[in-house]
Amino acid sequence: MKRLRLSRLRGALVRYVLLGAATAVFTLPMLYMISTSLRPNGALYEYPPRFFPRIEALTLENYDYILHQSKFYLNFLNSVLVSVSTVALAAAIASAMAFVLGKFPSRGTRLLFAFIIVTMIIPGTTMIVPQFELATRLSLVNRLWGLIPFYVAWVIPFSTFMIKGFMENIPGEIMDAAWMDGASVLKVYFRIALPLASPAIASVSIFNFLTAWEEYPWANTVINDNSRRTLPIAIAGFFGQHQFTQWGYVFAMSVLTLIPVVLIFILCQRFFVQGLTAGSVKG
Amino acid sequence: MIPKSRVHRAQLALLLLPGLLVFALFTVYPILRLFWMSLCDMSFSSMLSQPFAGLSNYREIFQDQTFWIVFVNSMAYTLITVPGQMVLGLLLAVLLSGIRRFSVTFRVLNYMPVVTSWVIASLVFRYIFNTEGLLNYFLWKVLGVTSSNIRWLDSRWGGLSVAMILGVWKGIGWNMVIFLAALQQVSKDLYEAAEIDGCGGWGKFLHVTLPGIRGTILFVLIELTIGGFNVFTSIKMITGGRPAHQTDTLLTWMYYKAFSTGKFGYAAALSFVMALTLALLAIVQFRMMRSRDA
Repeated sequence: MKRLRLSRLRGALVRYVLLGAATAVFTLPMLYMISTSLRPNGALYEYPPRFFPRIEALTLENYDYILHQSKFYLNFLNSVLVSVSTVALAAAIASAMAFVLGKFPSRGTRLLFAFIIVTMIIPGTTMIVPQFELATRLSLVNRLWGLIPFYVAWVIPFSTFMIKGFMENIPGEIMDAAWMDGASVLKVYFRIALPLASPAIASVSIFNFLTAWEEYPWANTVINDNSRRTLPIAIAGFFGQHQFTQWGYVFAMSVLTLIPVVLIFILCQRFFVQGLTAGSVKG
Repeated sequence: MIPKSRVHRAQLALLLLPGLLVFALFTVYPILRLFWMSLCDMSFSSMLSQPFAGLSNYREIFQDQTFWIVFVNSMAYTLITVPGQMVLGLLLAVLLSGIRRFSVTFRVLNYMPVVTSWVIASLVFRYIFNTEGLLNYFLWKVLGVTSSNIRWLDSRWGGLSVAMILGVWKGIGWNMVIFLAALQQVSKDLYEAAEIDGCGGWGKFLHVTLPGIRGTILFVLIELTIGGFNVFTSIKMITGGRPAHQTDTLLTWMYYKAFSTGKFGYAAALSFVMALTLALLAIVQFRMMRSRDA
């Protein structure tokens, strides 16, 4: 009995040590980024490199520069605008589609759904050439709101897939009662289906926000003006601007960009895990 | 029970319409257009006239030495990062499922790389792997395992390795969370039965856990393979394809061809080759996982 407890204890110890090591590997690069952003810019090439900055040399000058001398505010605002619009439009469009596809099964809707899922195999960036041509034709190039329809189109298949699963679980009796009362399709959708599916819509929306917030290839292709840049291309632009990269500025901007993401992630953790696992475990 | 009047139908169509329009215009049309472009001799100079060129773009691709380099790069990236992420993610999930305290803390911290954007994570890795950077200093001066600074970013496999390490680092958390959820679905009775049959920890893992999460493994495998071929931002940020396209992947090469040399037809054909490769891989993976049922 005693030996069994001892081996359990040893097992737990091994688990904690391994998990601790893994966590160090995951967090150290991020801590290094933060520590670099707090050093004077000139000290970045100091040799030997040090993980922790010297306490007496700690400075916020990089943040001061980013907040006051660059177009950070504008880039931040652009990113908020694009991400929030993407989230709102995708939620409205995908939940309406999911309602019809999930609650009114027919040969046509099944075929349509299968078709939407199949397109998910093609990575988004592969279509960048015809999409660029399309954007040129619709004069969406170098327009901030030109990003939005493409982002919405990218997130719709996954969003529809997720919300549809949730819609299907709404008990038929509730809807039947509404039909008996003579409710219209729109009324059933807005009054019954939408409120009941809101947890799924919330978790999908977190993913859609992150997608739009971090998107780089497409924004980098269609946006030229500095004042129209979103955060990812602003950071990348900062990185490529000078012969010698101003790492302090780059990382100060990166930290500021990550703050909303980390906040959302920690606050909405429950929705996050729910959304992640809903699609994967069924199979 | 579902009402069938004309008004109801019209309302259903109304709900479906916005999604269909966006999907048709921004997804389906570009796919069809991509196929057509790949058959045309399209470039900057001939934007207006697009002479039909048959399969010449495809021929050009397969005769192009650089194509084979970037194809091997993409394949190698996928073959290394996909199993790497899955094995380590599953390992962490198994470790996590056996502890009580700090489980949420570990989960949140390990997931941080996943929510960090590719641009930022790539720049951090580039900084760490710099020739005069922290990692070289640590390997040479602290651990003493190397005798000079390694020029990670100046060679084909050096640069690709950094991108692969980043890919694995950034993806493990996602695998961990998904596998953790799958592990919780495996029936406890099966574990007890295996224990009665005399299975040890390893035996239980092989005979109960792995078969129990097979659906999830297939799902993750397909998703990650698509992700592996989709690698773009990290290559752009870390090596930019240097030296001389040696570290380019299918997508960054396609992007270069399209937007730096203006060869849209070639780029479109390359995209199509990529999509076909992925579809084939997905089918093979699906078959492999299913056939073990028999």
